[in-house]
Amino acid sequence: MDRDLTTTCGYCGVGCRLEAHASDGKVITIAPALDGPANKGHTCLKGRFAHQFSRHRERLDSPLIRDGDGELRRASWEEAIALIVSELTRIRDADGPDAIAGLASSRATNEDCYVMQRMMRAAIGTHNIDNCSRVCHSPTSWALRKSFGLSGATGSFDDIEAADAAILIGANPTEAHPVAGARIKQATLRGLKLVTIDPRRIELADYGVLHLSPRPGTNAAVMLGLAHVVARDGLVDQPFLAARTEGYDETRALLEDYTPADVQRISGVPAADLQRAAHIYAEAGEASVMWGLGVTEHRYGSEVVRLICNLALMCGKVGRRGSALLPLRGQNNVQGSSDMGALPDTFTGYQSVADESVARRFEERWGVSMKRERGLKIPEMFSAAVAGDLKAMYIFGEDVAQTDPDTTHVIAALESLELLVVQDIFENETTRYADVVLPASSFLEKGGTFTNAERRIQLVAPAIDPPGDARTDFDILTTISAALGHDMGFQTPADAMDEIAALTPDWAGVSHERIGRGGLQWPVAADGTDSPILYEDAFELPGGRALLAALPYKPPGSEVSDAFPVILVTGRRLEHYNAGTMTRRTHNLDLVGSEWLEIHPDDAERLWIEDGSLVSVRSAHGRIELHAHVTARIEPGHVFTAFHFPEVRTNLLIGPSADVNTSCPEYKVVAVDVRPVSEKPRRTPAIAAAG
Amino acid sequence: MRVIVDDSDVDVQAGTTVLQAVRLSGGFVPTLCFDERQEPFGACRVCMVGVRGASGPLPACTTLCRDGMVIDTRDETARRIAAATVELVLSELPQPPGEGTELAAIARDLGVEGELRWPGAVHERREDLRHPYLALRQELCISCGRCVRACDEVQGAFALTAVGRGFDANIAAGMDQGFRDSTCVSCGACADTCPTDAITEISLLAMIER
Amino acid sequence: MSRNLVEIIRRHHELGAPTALEVLKAAVADHGELTDEDRRDAAARSGLPEAAVHGVSTFYDDLLAPRGERHIRVCTGTACFAATADAHVDELRDALGCDLGERSADGSVSLAETVCLGYCHSAPAVREGEVVDAGPSVVERVLAGAIRPAREPPPRSALDGPALLAFGHDWAGLSRAIATLTPEELLDVVKRAEVRGRGGAGFPAGLKWEFARDADGERKFIVANGDEGDPGSYIDKLLMEERPELLLEGMALAGYAVGADHGFVLTRSEYPRSKPALEWAVAVARRAGLLGASVLGSDFAFDVTIVEGAGSYVVGEETALLACLQGLRGTVSARPPFPAQRGLHGLPTVVNNVETLCNIPLVAREGAERYGQLSPGPTSGTKLICFNERFERPGVYEVCFGTSTRELCEGLAGGLRDGQQIKALQIGGPLGGILPASLLDTPFDFDDLAAVGCMLGHGGIVAFDETTDMRALATHLLRFGATESCGKCFPCRIGLRRAHEMFVADEDVDRERLEALLETLELGSLCAHGSGMPAPIRSLLEHFPDELGIA
Repeated sequence: MDRDLTTTCGYCGVGCRLEAHASDGKVITIAPALDGPANKGHTCLKGRFAHQFSRHRERLDSPLIRDGDGELRRASWEEAIALIVSELTRIRDADGPDAIAGLASSRATNEDCYVMQRMMRAAIGTHNIDNCSRVCHSPTSWALRKSFGLSGATGSFDDIEAADAAILIGANPTEAHPVAGARIKQATLRGLKLVTIDPRRIELADYGVLHLSPRPGTNAAVMLGLAHVVARDGLVDQPFLAARTEGYDETRALLEDYTPADVQRISGVPAADLQRAAHIYAEAGEASVMWGLGVTEHRYGSEVVRLICNLALMCGKVGRRGSALLPLRGQNNVQGSSDMGALPDTFTGYQSVADESVARRFEERWGVSMKRERGLKIPEMFSAAVAGDLKAMYIFGEDVAQTDPDTTHVIAALESLELLVVQDIFENETTRYADVVLPASSFLEKGGTFTNAERRIQLVAPAIDPPGDARTDFDILTTISAALGHDMGFQTPADAMDEIAALTPDWAGVSHERIGRGGLQWPVAADGTDSPILYEDAFELPGGRALLAALPYKPPGSEVSDAFPVILVTGRRLEHYNAGTMTRRTHNLDLVGSEWLEIHPDDAERLWIEDGSLVSVRSAHGRIELHAHVTARIEPGHVFTAFHFPEVRTNLLIGPSADVNTSCPEYKVVAVDVRPVSEKPRRTPAIAAAG
Repeated sequence: MRVIVDDSDVDVQAGTTVLQAVRLSGGFVPTLCFDERQEPFGACRVCMVGVRGASGPLPACTTLCRDGMVIDTRDETARRIAAATVELVLSELPQPPGEGTELAAIARDLGVEGELRWPGAVHERREDLRHPYLALRQELCISCGRCVRACDEVQGAFALTAVGRGFDANIAAGMDQGFRDSTCVSCGACADTCPTDAITEISLLAMIER
Repeated sequence: MSRNLVEIIRRHHELGAPTALEVLKAAVADHGELTDEDRRDAAARSGLPEAAVHGVSTFYDDLLAPRGERHIRVCTGTACFAATADAHVDELRDALGCDLGERSADGSVSLAETVCLGYCHSAPAVREGEVVDAGPSVVERVLAGAIRPAREPPPRSALDGPALLAFGHDWAGLSRAIATLTPEELLDVVKRAEVRGRGGAGFPAGLKWEFARDADGERKFIVANGDEGDPGSYIDKLLMEERPELLLEGMALAGYAVGADHGFVLTRSEYPRSKPALEWAVAVARRAGLLGASVLGSDFAFDVTIVEGAGSYVVGEETALLACLQGLRGTVSARPPFPAQRGLHGLPTVVNNVETLCNIPLVAREGAERYGQLSPGPTSGTKLICFNERFERPGVYEVCFGTSTRELCEGLAGGLRDGQQIKALQIGGPLGGILPASLLDTPFDFDDLAAVGCMLGHGGIVAFDETTDMRALATHLLRFGATESCGKCFPCRIGLRRAHEMFVADEDVDRERLEALLETLELGSLCAHGSGMPAPIRSLLEHFPDELGIA
């Protein structure tokens, strides 16, 4: 049987629209949709080719239950669900609903995340629900809401081509968001003046007009320095500031301390380059800022996002085509999972659980009563588990034992639980600690919607059926919720979307039918009008005014010392995706089959490390071994690796340091010590001739 | 401004190509080297149309509309030149193109069938099957340049190039090391646009052959 | 032409990077053959992606033929064919034991084909290193290792006073223009003088300039097309090597009128003396304040860079020329965009033939009216023409437009040597029709020649004597056409190969199939190479049908 359909890619946050062709229950080919608003007839090797994982022999095709002897054995759905329900009920009755926590997945659909948080809130009765955007873009989400009002990009990918200049900071789109990266590259060759800011000389730096290479953890100083130059050199859009913002005076006073010379001292960025960058951005007719996890995954990541907002506001570059703030979201639905209320403090559309009228609306609809206090964030959940306060976790589509920081602590938490339910498509590091494993479905096997990095809600359609006894996540979650005594009454994901629209003012006009081929960018009015550009006339804050934040630079949580003299930065490779669960089960592994450590030639020389040799990387939290790649793309004093390979366990190195406002882990700055593993280097450096 | 395509009026903006005008009118002109994601290339000479007052047929993809232009997509000379060109293209391949390819479809549209009038040398068989996803079979390459432009104008990997000249023109990945050892980022845009399956997904090869 | 690659090249050019082609040429000159290491080096130094560099390295003759300790390049141009029916090629091949494009096993010698060396006056011609030898005994001298530079006849004038080829160059046109004319006024003079392009197409130069002048661009460029690829023509060779100041002055004038501050001359690698001669002239002009930041003390800045090609006939087409100048594959691009809108480095560019630009000083000095009166007929100015070795007095001549072809051939050039009779002429290069002896009275002008299926082209005249085998001539021309096709447009890429195959086969050519193929080439091709190659074949079909083996 053949199936041809249009769906949305389940890898990164660009949201490529894809044409899939399946036959006999297998995906045969995937091609980009010519009318895809974000991808415009293009996609990357992940979207196009990396679909074999869907029929990989290791796919979970049956529920698994851990036996008395500690082994996972196959079980029926009835048995598995009965066990989950009885255990959750027992724990809730004994320790209260807040002894239970759930994690929704930024990989899953909006509808999956919606029913997950509804299950936790309504069927169990706790706000202990979070999602993996906690460990990536929660600082972005938090800061955009504080500065502008809404938690999403202010514009669209189409702003890339419309801009005259752009700043790209802490992101490497040609690897992590390949289609967006391709669009940026093409735009630079058509005249977009691109300033790249990253500790590594990323590929796009070769196409930009200027590259700044700040020390990891000093982004705030750079943003303050840019703002200083804008203020000093009369580049401020005074009418915009006066009419549409608050808080500039305080900010202006703070900026006095961040002269280019000061910033050069803190960040290592040459003062002249900083000034040039400020002028390129401020003097452009339209200019955008794009950023990624190199901004957010820091101790003060959320503050840096606010400083980015400051800069845009000072220059009046918000709310117009070409002048946008575009966070490059990592996962396909990192935007949507948070939009859907899979957060401990908000329902859908970032409506606070503490807001009485909001809470009542949800209580009425769901027929339950709920607390007005927020639940636990992910790191708090693990701490509560270790402390013995949290007894059960329902983890859906996230391999926390692999991807979360301070892995030792996470494992201790998982081991402390009385019940761990993991719903996923493969066994992984986390399922090793699970009591029940539920076989779920990939994006190729289910319907619903994803919301991409430009707030665009797009339809997902099943090309194939889940393997064996695996079920769609929507089916699993609504079934368990019903078994727990809370029947949501949804037949299809479209039904769930109708409820989301009814409960969420910003999604009022959303329905699967209206989304159609082109998608809808929220907020969507009841009549279906969507919002490619936010804040054209007013910000979504009291008085319609944006808020500038006077936030000083503070040093990162992890700093170099004699014992750990090198800074490790982590990131992604083009061929792989996050924990590699999917891409490592495709031929992408054939293209890139192992991880490596990038190190500058000077450091390599000093440390007697040769290209290709095995090195050890040690932090205060752990030690890993991998092979070195000597490259000038990285600055001296820094090393870089990705986290796609569980055998390397990069995250063992990451400590508990996290963003002060959102608890997003400080993945991007770890002080480490790097040494060759082999005692005797093959090459002995020449000894200078005496005399 | 306004142009007339096969007796129907089409309003177009300055800078519109004849091909765009034909498509706006709902009409059809066969193309081989054209891909709407790329700039017009003007190599295949299959999109020939008649234009009133012109000394001969014109390629629709690279000819700009002028106000009042009268375009005939069924012009006999234009179709004859296009068909002869496609016949020449078929003559350079060591085997007929796969049924599902754009080239085969265009040959059908132009009624190119039966014995070829200009048989002669054909491309040498040479394939690269070392990449996990992409197969290159150079004997099927017709030098339409779509893959090279996809890699350049859409992806920006610049991993493909035209090589050789004249009849021996072909394409190469990197410095002819194949996809795997070039700067190819495996996006597949080349396979997506190839009209002859000279570049195709390796997993589809067996199916195409069948 | 890839807009992205052009932009990448522009950025690297501004940083002083060489083009990939320059680096590759240097590598071949250094060690005789390109390696992947050379290609990587060219990519790193030029900024061009490695794949694109590889593409370039497979396009140009100079980069393809491996070089031995002795690198022998044998001319296979039309004049050499007319002289020997290619016997000189066979002799060399047999004696050296080396096929065309090959190097002997011991690496001592290599043989390559080249079209054409511009010694048509003394054909056949052979080049070893930078030395070109020519004449009936050239093969013997090559084999004896005793080649010597061939002599070149001095140019002569058929006019009362020489106009273009005046001795003693004083840059009076440029001085006068800068002192007395605004750029707009100079442009107006050139337009009124009705200077037609001398490269073959005959397009009005003033109009080209006006397009570029009116186009938006941060900078603009003047490009002199010195890629005189037409076998049988050595006019631009003479101008570039013997009158380089005239070209530089013409370029400066064009720059002044158009608003360009830089000019480039693309010379042919088949003419090894052109680039040094022009560079010497540029250096002298700079010292004299005639080029540079302040031309003749004015605030007009203009300088010139000389770039040498690498062996490709189609690079004479203006878009291919610009590609070559930027170090890219010399393939033709569809227009629009025209070079005047988006040319070198994506900026407005005037591309004029060398001889066209050499006419400009005359126009500036003498004014539009006097320039217009130099020839009696409708075409302004004078024309340089040249004759091949079959003539009694071969060489370059300055003549009036409209003179009868017979007068030129029999009067000026003295008819054929050794009492031979003209069987036919090919005028204006390989894309020109063949004029049979019966039509010798045709006036030598654009329109008159077009009326008999021929063209004035660039003005090279190659005579074929009574001994010429017309099927061999057709085969020779089609082989050239197929070999030199850039490979971009389908009709030319495949069609010329097929046409050559039809003639080279040892059987009759099917007339109906041939005519259908010629029509496809004529109407379908992207540039004049594909659409023009049928012209001589059509002439042969018309005038020598019995000699072609047509069924």
